[in-house]
Amino acid sequence: MSRNARCPGSLDELWPLLEEGVTIMAGGTDLLVRRRGQVPAPVACLERIESLRGVRVHEGFISLGACETHASLLRHALVRERLPVLAGALQVLGSPLIRNMGTIGGNIVSASPAGDTLAPLYALDAQLELVSKWGARRVPLAGFIHGPGRTGLKPGEVLAAVLVPPPEPSALQHFEKVGRRKALAIAVVSLAAVILTDGEGVVLDARLALGSVGPTVARCPKAEALLAGRRLDREALLAVGEAMRSEIAPIDDLRASAAYRREVAGNLLLRLAS
Amino acid sequence: MKPSSPNQPDFSFRHADTLSKAVGAERYSTDFTPPGCLWAGAKRAGVPHARITAVHVGEALAVDGVKTVLTGADVPGSNLQGIVHKDQPVLAVDTVRHAGDAVALVLAESREALAEALSRIRLEYEPLPGVFEPELALAAEAPLVHPGREGGNLLARGLVDKGDARAAMRGCDVVVEGEFETPMQEHVFLEPPNGTARLTATNGLETVVSTQAPFRDRFEIAHALGLDPMRIRVRAPYLGGGFGGKDGATVQCLLALAALHAGGRWVKMVWSREETFLAGYKRHAARVRIRLGASSSGALQALDSVMYFDSGPYAHLGVEIMALGLEHAGGPYMIPHTRAEGFCVYTNNPVGGAFRGFGVVQASFALERSLDALAARLGMDPAELRLMNALRTGEANCAGVAMESPTGVRECLEAVMAHPVWAGRHTWKEAAPPFKRRGVGIAASCNAMGYGRGLPDAAAAKLELTRTGTFRIFNSVADMGQGNAAAFVQLAASALNQDSSLFEVVQPDTRLCPPAGSSSASRTTYTFGNALLRACEAMREKLKARAALALLVDEPSRLRLAPGVVADEATGRSIPLALLGNMLQRDDRICVDQYVMPVVENPPDTGKAFRLGFPHRFFSHGACVCALEADELTGQVELVECVTAVECGRVLSARGVEQQVHGAAAQGAGLVLMENLAHQDGRILAGDLSTYLIPTSRDLPDLEWLAVDGDEPTGPHGVKGMGEVGIHGPAPAVAQALEDAVGLSINRIPVDPMDVLRALRSNKA
Ligand SMILES: Cc1cc2nc3c(=O)[nH]c(=O)nc-3n(C[C@H](O)[C@H](O)[C@H](O)COP(=O)(O)OP(=O)(O)OC[C@H]3O[C@@H](n4cnc5c(N)ncnc54)[C@H](O)[C@@H]3O)c2cc1C
Repeated sequence: MSRNARCPGSLDELWPLLEEGVTIMAGGTDLLVRRRGQVPAPVACLERIESLRGVRVHEGFISLGACETHASLLRHALVRERLPVLAGALQVLGSPLIRNMGTIGGNIVSASPAGDTLAPLYALDAQLELVSKWGARRVPLAGFIHGPGRTGLKPGEVLAAVLVPPPEPSALQHFEKVGRRKALAIAVVSLAAVILTDGEGVVLDARLALGSVGPTVARCPKAEALLAGRRLDREALLAVGEAMRSEIAPIDDLRASAAYRREVAGNLLLRLAS
Repeated sequence: MKPSSPNQPDFSFRHADTLSKAVGAERYSTDFTPPGCLWAGAKRAGVPHARITAVHVGEALAVDGVKTVLTGADVPGSNLQGIVHKDQPVLAVDTVRHAGDAVALVLAESREALAEALSRIRLEYEPLPGVFEPELALAAEAPLVHPGREGGNLLARGLVDKGDARAAMRGCDVVVEGEFETPMQEHVFLEPPNGTARLTATNGLETVVSTQAPFRDRFEIAHALGLDPMRIRVRAPYLGGGFGGKDGATVQCLLALAALHAGGRWVKMVWSREETFLAGYKRHAARVRIRLGASSSGALQALDSVMYFDSGPYAHLGVEIMALGLEHAGGPYMIPHTRAEGFCVYTNNPVGGAFRGFGVVQASFALERSLDALAARLGMDPAELRLMNALRTGEANCAGVAMESPTGVRECLEAVMAHPVWAGRHTWKEAAPPFKRRGVGIAASCNAMGYGRGLPDAAAAKLELTRTGTFRIFNSVADMGQGNAAAFVQLAASALNQDSSLFEVVQPDTRLCPPAGSSSASRTTYTFGNALLRACEAMREKLKARAALALLVDEPSRLRLAPGVVADEATGRSIPLALLGNMLQRDDRICVDQYVMPVVENPPDTGKAFRLGFPHRFFSHGACVCALEADELTGQVELVECVTAVECGRVLSARGVEQQVHGAAAQGAGLVLMENLAHQDGRILAGDLSTYLIPTSRDLPDLEWLAVDGDEPTGPHGVKGMGEVGIHGPAPAVAQALEDAVGLSINRIPVDPMDVLRALRSNKA
């Protein structure tokens, strides 16, 4: 193994490496691409650290180990059955190869506005468990991501787990990614929705998050409020879609224009029209 | 011989290279890395048009492991590459004309040193105004790409006509008019342009290159660098894809130049994907204006079209590509009066070059869209309109050439029209799920085979009986993945009545193989195949004659070749091939023969600008039905079905044809659905595979194909070439299907989901 690739077997073995300034690497699918063409620099691989893995129910949360790969999460019944909005995103992330290597922790710390797991995790009100030599802290995901590639991760810290409060089993969970092709394509817009209705179909609580329409994933509080108390009919969803369009700040890039993103961002919820 | 059913793979025949490729044992050019070789790389201009005021190489030379840095001043010979027209410097001298021009060449001991040195070369420029749009480039005051050149930015103008289109147009009951644009397209072959070269002890040049044209490469290198072409040896192992992008110099001249400075050491050059986007050839972007007139019954009467091809700063095969575009302006239809005028124009965009469908893609999209407009105007079914105008054998195409070779366009159309995707389209459309609009479209096409009149389309084939009684085919036409090497084995095995396992194929090597034209123009199996069959014939006669000596038979003609032996049925005696092989000296074990594709005998009095390669005599035909779903919420378009029928003479290998149709249809689908270089002012914005998207397997339906029986009497076993014809269907068929689904009439591709949304919105209003 190359001198540049260090493989600590535990968090205790990781801390000194972080102190040396060695960069954390999980699946490497983001990091190595960004480093392409540069002089190789040391990395600390997380794959042998057992405590960063596992999917379990813990203190009322579904806890997802940061080093779980997209593929391993998809195989897990808790994810498939309790968090279909996340599973929907994992299914269309990258390609089978990327899903086998890339991790949920890496997807979060990469902090791309197009990171496919982010919109679902925003809509699920996920929290993050961050650990360091000095202890652990728990922060809401939404506050952790500051902008493209920018997070609140402190030096010496590692993301250990994602804590997801499981929605009511009856809640509607919906995810859609709009890309320019069906695999290996960055989202142009994505929508994650977690919606709880009463027995009559009236919305009690709606959580809506849009990806790729601003510097970070956007929750849409106005639209959420507008949807509460209404049914998922075409008329309501059109109005809510219009509100969503007003809550985002998309940009033009090679993949799509801001106008297209805005238009589609307000359309996607219509898919739920009953 | 009826082709086996296309949907049942014919296991009767396996490609010899399937296993070696699957297990990674096949050695591509890129796998050839002699120990201790030097690495060469080009410094690219980075700007589309500028005067070079200085090239600072000092810092690069100082990098540890750098052997030398060469600039334009170091190039011996003409310093001009090009296939027909020589206008592309190996290294730019005083001007750069597109962002991918090579300005300096570095030789280094390692790839790391090479990369470091390339990053340390500093180029100083005086920017020049550029031209990025062919029609603007023709304006009187446009900046010149090649100042002082007679003709300015107009590389070539051509006219192909028949009858009097403009007069006939006035007499038409209906005339439709339109302007259509097709974009540049990247080949995206898997194996990047690469090769290895060295000077031999006797001052010859030896190269191993990923190339479609090993024999012609010698002349291109020799001309550019002032060398003797006969002292250049080119070897072309299996290519990891080409599609036209390796027809003409990529690494060849740069590598040869590097070898001249490497003191006999091997030098290797491999372009990165990004360099390939930047410097490689592209399908020519084209703009086509059409007027198409018909009688009220739908009979086509007149076609008047003008085409502009964006050549970039160099000719490459631009003129020949435009010629083929003009020759296909009328497609596979009978139109009494036609006029197609073309302008091939220099710009400071990436260099246009050969790409599967060579000018025909551009012409075909415009014509098929015009037929759709005509069908709409006449209230006719688009399939019926095509069928009633389909060109029949004996009728003249738009270049005035009467179709001698049987045309199968009608049969192709009938085949796809009978397919459930077309026949059942109304029911299918009605069953669209929520938020989806469904549409179905149909298109027909033809594609010429071979170089055309004036440029002999020739191949020589060498066949050897080995001492152990097996056979060795010296393949002179590179196999870029299309499977011609395997087809040659199949042809020879059946001609000699031997098992295919007895055949070995030597891949093109200008020292070992007799010359042949390039792997291009849907010509490979036809031309080399015919040469090989003749060589087989000679071999058969020879083996019978030699066997007759051993068997004491007076009339060799009564002997037969049977697996492993020459047999005398009259006596039941036979002689093993191994024995014959052992008996004969090497010269006597070899048969060489050749073939030249026949040309149009009495060419029409048109296309005068095209002395090389015009007109064509043979065409393959195709028809394609595409069914799609457009999403009302996102404007995304999903290709749900794509059925292609092809008529390519007789089908030698159903699987071989199927694979060509798959690849071609996938490339056609990419062109219409997503491929977009997003170039702006001479710069490619989508210059890598994360931004330039080609379809993945999930973006493509099954790409079904239907065989239409044909027979080309001059073809080997009745074969016509068909490597290209399948690319033409998806773009127009998808466009028509989109119009059917959401009422959006597109005249440029790829489809923009935003336009789909707009169309949906305005339809509702
Ligand atoms: C071809 C390709 C296609 C892709 N397609 C998609 C796609 O469709 N959707 C999508 O969202 N992404 C996509 N990606 C991006 C990437 O694969 C994902 O974001 C993936 O989840 C990153 O995870 P990783 O484990 O590989 O991260 P790494 O590359 O290992 O790390 C990424 C960053 O996170 C840091 N990091 C990783 N884990 C931790 C941790 N536990 N604690 C602290 N810091 C950490 C690293 O230091 C680094 O800065 C694609 C990438 C490629 C190469």
